[in-house]
Amino acid sequence: MNPFTYSRANDQQTAISGIAANPHAKFLGGGTNLIDLMKMGVEHPEQLVDINRIPLTGVEQLPNNGGLRIGALVRNSDLAEHELIKSNYPVLSEALLSGASPQLRNLATTGGNLLQRTRCYYFYDPAFPMCNKRNPGSGCGALEGYNRIHAILGQSEQCIATHPSDMCVALAALDAVVRVQGPKGERTIPFADFHRLPGDTPSVETNLQPNELITAVDLSALPVAKRSHYLKVRDRASYAFALVSVAALLEMDGGKIKSARIALGGVAHKPWRAHKAEAALAGKEPNEQAFRAAADAELAGAKGYKYNSFKVELAKRAITQALGTVAKMA
Amino acid sequence: MNAIALPPAIGQPLVRVDGPAKVTGQARYAAEFTPNKLAYGAFIQSPIANGRLTNLDLSMAKAAPGVLDILTRENCPKFPPYPEEMTKPGAPGENRVPLQDDRLHWVGQFLGVVIAESLEKVRHAVSLVRINAQTEKPILRTDSAAAEKTATRPEKWVGQEELQVTRGDIAKAFTDAPNECKIEITYSTPIENHNPIETIATTAEWTSPNDLLLHESTRGIKQLQKVVAHAFNLQPEKVMIVSPFVGGAFGSKGFQWGHTLLAAAAARLVRRPVRIVFSRPQMFDSAGQRAHTEQKFSIVTEKKGKLIALRHATTTHSSPIAEYPEPCGNMTRMLYSCPNVEVSHRLVHLNLTTPCPMRAPGEAPGVFALECALHEMAEKLGIDPLRFRLTNYAEEDEFKNLPWSAKRLRECYERGAKKFGWSKRKALPESMRDPEGNRLGWGMATAIYPAKQQPTAAHAILTADGRLTIQSATHEIGTGTYTAMSQLAANALGLPLADIHFELGNSEFPEAPVNGGSWGTASVGAAVLGVCAELKKVVRAQVGSWPNDSEKLRIALKESGYAQFEADHKAKPDKGAREKFSFQSFGALFVEVKVDSLGQTRVIRATGVYDVGRILNPRLARSQIYGGTVFGIGMALMEATLPDLRTGRIVNANLAEYHVPVLADIPQFDVEFLDKPDPHMPEIGARGIGEIGIVGAPAAVANAIFHATGKRVRDLPITPDKLI
Repeated sequence: MNPFTYSRANDQQTAISGIAANPHAKFLGGGTNLIDLMKMGVEHPEQLVDINRIPLTGVEQLPNNGGLRIGALVRNSDLAEHELIKSNYPVLSEALLSGASPQLRNLATTGGNLLQRTRCYYFYDPAFPMCNKRNPGSGCGALEGYNRIHAILGQSEQCIATHPSDMCVALAALDAVVRVQGPKGERTIPFADFHRLPGDTPSVETNLQPNELITAVDLSALPVAKRSHYLKVRDRASYAFALVSVAALLEMDGGKIKSARIALGGVAHKPWRAHKAEAALAGKEPNEQAFRAAADAELAGAKGYKYNSFKVELAKRAITQALGTVAKMA
Repeated sequence: MNAIALPPAIGQPLVRVDGPAKVTGQARYAAEFTPNKLAYGAFIQSPIANGRLTNLDLSMAKAAPGVLDILTRENCPKFPPYPEEMTKPGAPGENRVPLQDDRLHWVGQFLGVVIAESLEKVRHAVSLVRINAQTEKPILRTDSAAAEKTATRPEKWVGQEELQVTRGDIAKAFTDAPNECKIEITYSTPIENHNPIETIATTAEWTSPNDLLLHESTRGIKQLQKVVAHAFNLQPEKVMIVSPFVGGAFGSKGFQWGHTLLAAAAARLVRRPVRIVFSRPQMFDSAGQRAHTEQKFSIVTEKKGKLIALRHATTTHSSPIAEYPEPCGNMTRMLYSCPNVEVSHRLVHLNLTTPCPMRAPGEAPGVFALECALHEMAEKLGIDPLRFRLTNYAEEDEFKNLPWSAKRLRECYERGAKKFGWSKRKALPESMRDPEGNRLGWGMATAIYPAKQQPTAAHAILTADGRLTIQSATHEIGTGTYTAMSQLAANALGLPLADIHFELGNSEFPEAPVNGGSWGTASVGAAVLGVCAELKKVVRAQVGSWPNDSEKLRIALKESGYAQFEADHKAKPDKGAREKFSFQSFGALFVEVKVDSLGQTRVIRATGVYDVGRILNPRLARSQIYGGTVFGIGMALMEATLPDLRTGRIVNANLAEYHVPVLADIPQFDVEFLDKPDPHMPEIGARGIGEIGIVGAPAAVANAIFHATGKRVRDLPITPDKLI
């Protein structure tokens, strides 16, 4: 780990001006990912601005039935166990609880989770020569390497890494809105626009601008979210990243699907909103055949590599199963 | 006398005597001894898998804050080669001492040690070393032409076990057999790492120019003492090694010695004590590992299932500087009755870190192949896999032509099958489901592990107040040595447990073997029982009698006028018995798995019945079997170390991506011991239980997965992608 300076900010303005002065400064939230990456030599900030004292730890109901505002420093465990999240957005609670370990969830923050970086083996080892994220232009080590955990949707030849977060998959399905504060004031970013596909610039992972601080994540009031579920497929029962995961919501009208919201994890560089599957489900009866057809539609454009082609079929089965579970909910 | 003060019985499930010290942090591990002026070391490691070191640019590292000095080839002492008996072909040690030449053999190889004032400073400084090397193409695949050129056929494993064995006429058996009575299948297992929670640590301190004190996480104190003394040209007693607690080993912490030599050399260089603690990635590239294996298995039977021939051909790997082969075929030589057997081992050398034994070396991957192949043959013949095994029950060791010291495997099968409910198994794959519609599978496998004993000595000191100290240079690697040996001594002498103080982990104590081979209880136990008997003799001679009541004993000792009584004993295996019998432990493991439509397997329950001789402490014994079985479940379902096939860099050298079972992966256990003493093992008749728990588990799980899904996966681990 490189030497760095440390300071603590008690309010948003101090935090933002604190990192604005140094292009190699970073905010420190829970630190569960950043510190790990610093130890590995992947990240080497010169300065850390600790934001843990900023009062962004509340989960508030927005006025006029406007949904929920989740402070950026709400810990994953607190959010997962929050009564309103458990009852109104079960998909989010389930996603949170399926991630990491209790110890990590006790520290990890909502804002930090949005910025979690990929677990691509070749990104995580700075001694590995090829990685377009770490060294733009050096190539992608995973293309011809161990790519079992890599992307099948939306990737580029420059990068086939996946986004590792579970929470973000649920937030994508819930159409959350990210609130950020920057030197020029506050703005909001729709969740779908927050993370980026790799394209030719895999080192740029989000549309967050330099010196912007995530302050909150807003969830709209979404009665349909009560019928929601998060399904995660992994190599062991706990403490493993998703091979594939599915966040699914179904809005019913009579006996038919009015609308579906589906997001996938473990398959792309960002939480993957399954618009094709959603479109295929509109107006259909909720049965396995329809679910499978929707999954087929979504994965039609998938591309696998030497070790991860299984994810195409796995994603189809996971989507089908997750929708089946939601359909059975009261 | 109150009940607590009664001497414990053999078979009493005592809790660990060192438990409170461990949970309160009082138990001190190698990295927790902090001498004055302690400095911290960190390894410079090779970034490439094959080539030559041109030079190390140390300028930036030397200028980094807190750096004291840097040990490299330039200023390292000239170490002689390791003692020959530790590095001969088949032995687990490396045959190249560190920092004596410029060859680079694998990624992670030690190239030097940076020494600084703090752990943080040294880790930073080591990142500033620039390594210049000439790169050559590494050999990374066992099936490559380059690997073929390095291939050998090792004769012996650790100098004893024959690795190339033939009996009967194997070729004729295969030529004569009709197709429906033979199979030929290849199984493979990946590289696996031990991953004890305590990473390797050495604290080296020169207490005089010729006296070295090492606090080391080792399970081989006496062997390490020999190696270090040899390297520094010292008398062994000038090297003192202290290691009262080891945080797990599983085969590591025994044979990789380079780091200890370098820590001692670094301490000499800076004239201060130096501590080096391995990082978790270093536990993958510098601490030993289980080699990759490819095992071609062929079977011929009669139509009714009697075995006619078994052929088990293993290819495994070592590093370029070691000759240790994973001995997969050893159990195939004699677990079943079979007239024609061919066992062979082929070793190739890859540019990967040096493999070494890992819990049940050979048995774990070898019995996986054997027990899966038998299951596959039974399926092909339409015979129940348990009946198939009973049909081929070996009444004697047909490899050694010796009777078993004792064998109750049939009883293990019968008890296990009954407890598990094996008779209710539906024979057809995919025929059993749980209420949610998940596929269930029932599988079983035989477990076997050699019962060995090594020469071990102990020293006893009984003070006039009736307190007993017993010393032996053995180790506590988490298996319960302190407890089991205290229990044995207390029982033998009729003393309350509280009056027994068993001491281990010190090179000044009498000779004890490396903790391995599941021989700890038999070996150290024999020494403890022997020294207790000697002590009784001494007391009888000096006091006149040995009162069997501990209070009366105390009074007699006090009245004798002596301050203390001492005794020594060296226990050796009974050579006669060893020549007359074959010593093996046995077991039968039955498991139920659930496989969901997403390819995720969970082991729901595991029923094991074990014939491992007398059980000294069932609580500790069960823990060993639980742990071993969980180890085997990890091997079956998730563990694999992945060296990148272009660079040789291990891509998953951490506990997030190298998966071991978590609590939620652990099944409901039902473990039973037959608990019958082996009449030919030393006194108590215990055979050892450290490793047999893993043997059989991978095959039982793989067989159960086949039963659940109809899909036979022959390449471990059986991850969801292989079941989709």
